[in-house]
Amino acid sequence: MKRVPCSGCSLLCDDIIVRSDGIFIDEVVGACIKGKEHFDQVTAKNRQTSPMHREGNNMKKIEWDQCYNEVTELIKKSKKPLLYGFSTVSCEAQLEGIQLAEKINGHIDSNSSICQGKVIERSKLEGLTLTTIGEVINKADLIILWGANPAESIPRLLNKTVFSRGKFRMTGREIKTLIIVDPVQTASFGVIGVRDLSLMIDPGKDIDLIRVLKDECCTADSIPSEGVAGIDTDDLKRLLLHLTGAEYGVIFMGQGLLRPKNDYETLKEFLELIEMINSKQKKGRIALITMGGHYNMTGFDHVALANYGQTGNLNFRNNQLEVTEKNTIQKISSEDFDLSIIVGTDPISHLPANLSSKLMKHPIIVIDNKKSATGEIADLFLPSAITGIECEGLAYRLDHVPIELQKIINPPNNIPSDEEILRELLKRLKDGGS
Amino acid sequence: MDLYKFLPKTNCKKCTPKTCMAFALALLQGKVKIEDCPPLLEPKYKKEYETLKELIGSEEGQEKELKINVDTELCDGCGICVTVCPVNARYCPPTLSGKAPDYPPDSHQLFQVKQGKCELLNIKFCRRIEAEGRERECRVCETYCPREAIKIEYV
Repeated sequence: MKRVPCSGCSLLCDDIIVRSDGIFIDEVVGACIKGKEHFDQVTAKNRQTSPMHREGNNMKKIEWDQCYNEVTELIKKSKKPLLYGFSTVSCEAQLEGIQLAEKINGHIDSNSSICQGKVIERSKLEGLTLTTIGEVINKADLIILWGANPAESIPRLLNKTVFSRGKFRMTGREIKTLIIVDPVQTASFGVIGVRDLSLMIDPGKDIDLIRVLKDECCTADSIPSEGVAGIDTDDLKRLLLHLTGAEYGVIFMGQGLLRPKNDYETLKEFLELIEMINSKQKKGRIALITMGGHYNMTGFDHVALANYGQTGNLNFRNNQLEVTEKNTIQKISSEDFDLSIIVGTDPISHLPANLSSKLMKHPIIVIDNKKSATGEIADLFLPSAITGIECEGLAYRLDHVPIELQKIINPPNNIPSDEEILRELLKRLKDGGS
Repeated sequence: MDLYKFLPKTNCKKCTPKTCMAFALALLQGKVKIEDCPPLLEPKYKKEYETLKELIGSEEGQEKELKINVDTELCDGCGICVTVCPVNARYCPPTLSGKAPDYPPDSHQLFQVKQGKCELLNIKFCRRIEAEGRERECRVCETYCPREAIKIEYV
């Protein structure tokens, strides 16, 4: 019985007990239903263990060598390849992916750029107050969920932060105040207690609330009498009291704040608000944790930032990084690509129909550990081992803490990991002198 | 308060709790029986005695056996019940910081999350059976379950 990290979601719980005989996983104790499903993926029906290529309307099994050759052929033909995904692979594989993009003059991006990457990119200007889950357990007395529903997206987050008892918060739930800001009554509202605050904000009006809070920090008597964004004056006063009076607050920011319409402005104001509170507050501070869903979404930001100084949208030309205004979504919508390499994600079912239909017009190479809608329409499918179960790797938790994922069992058919696949492709392309 | 209405309200000090108000509370908590009040047995209070017996009798009929139902369809294995349960906190130190308790479980452990679903292990150490006084009214697992999968019942 050993405790292993689970790579089911971005929380990367490192306390999961797994009983295994080295071939199969028998029992998983402590993991939530999401983690359990992730461990079940090893023997799931939609698991793919051999490389496939397209023959007419059907996918046909081929050998690895032939598969690599076909992939390199496609890449050599392509002039503007697009590499997308990289959120559910290890950091080593992400680095290989970026090097591959550099070699083949492609555009590489992760799912992070339409999610929390916006905050990290933005925070280069405004600054970001970070914290870790350990600090939240031991010190936090105020936890705010803004546009997030962890009870459904990251099930064990509330358990670890709100309900845990820490060194300086021995009474646990009783001393920790929970505030939820959300337009709909989500499952997370189920844990609201009498001391907590649930704010039902009007959809898309977050920016108004943030602006009022920013004004309030300066002058305490300018609360609008009719309330703001569907929140009445009393609740506003209580929210402000909690924000400025907390010893150690943490805001979990979800997708709710990243509305495509005005997210740039909202994030700017939001980060400024946190900075303002921290500079005014004498007792403690407020920190921010962005809640990405995929387990290594934060990792891509770190790998790209450390090696190329940019969190996403890395565009290479003549094997050099090039400044580009277009992000991946704009690239797909203007069809500025002629080949897409999708690693560990499923854009066909996640992106809107008009974008995914444009993606389908060009050849698609998929590297993933399971069948997906993208895998079904792909020209070439390369199966990979699941990181954290069948191979090792480094991943970044949602609070930017690196966690070493472990190998528990051997992969079926000895399929290589994402890192090995990408390295082999890079090696073959270098040998071929492309 | 409903029970107090039917007591003699004389504070005769013949029973253990001494006052009628305290007796009513003790009666509600099941610490004393109706027969512990001597004046009630007198023919003068026969009507009140019968009404009280009906009231208490119906409640006693329900308070037979504690049952904690965990709906595995609704449960998503978040483990809030494991962390928040005061009995688990006493016997399984990892749960204090929100971690999964050791496996195989401690003999006192009440909840564990196994195969992604919550499991009730040993109901006889639940505070609703073991503890005294206010601690006996513990309902934290039911209150804080975000999926409302845990229901405490008496059958």
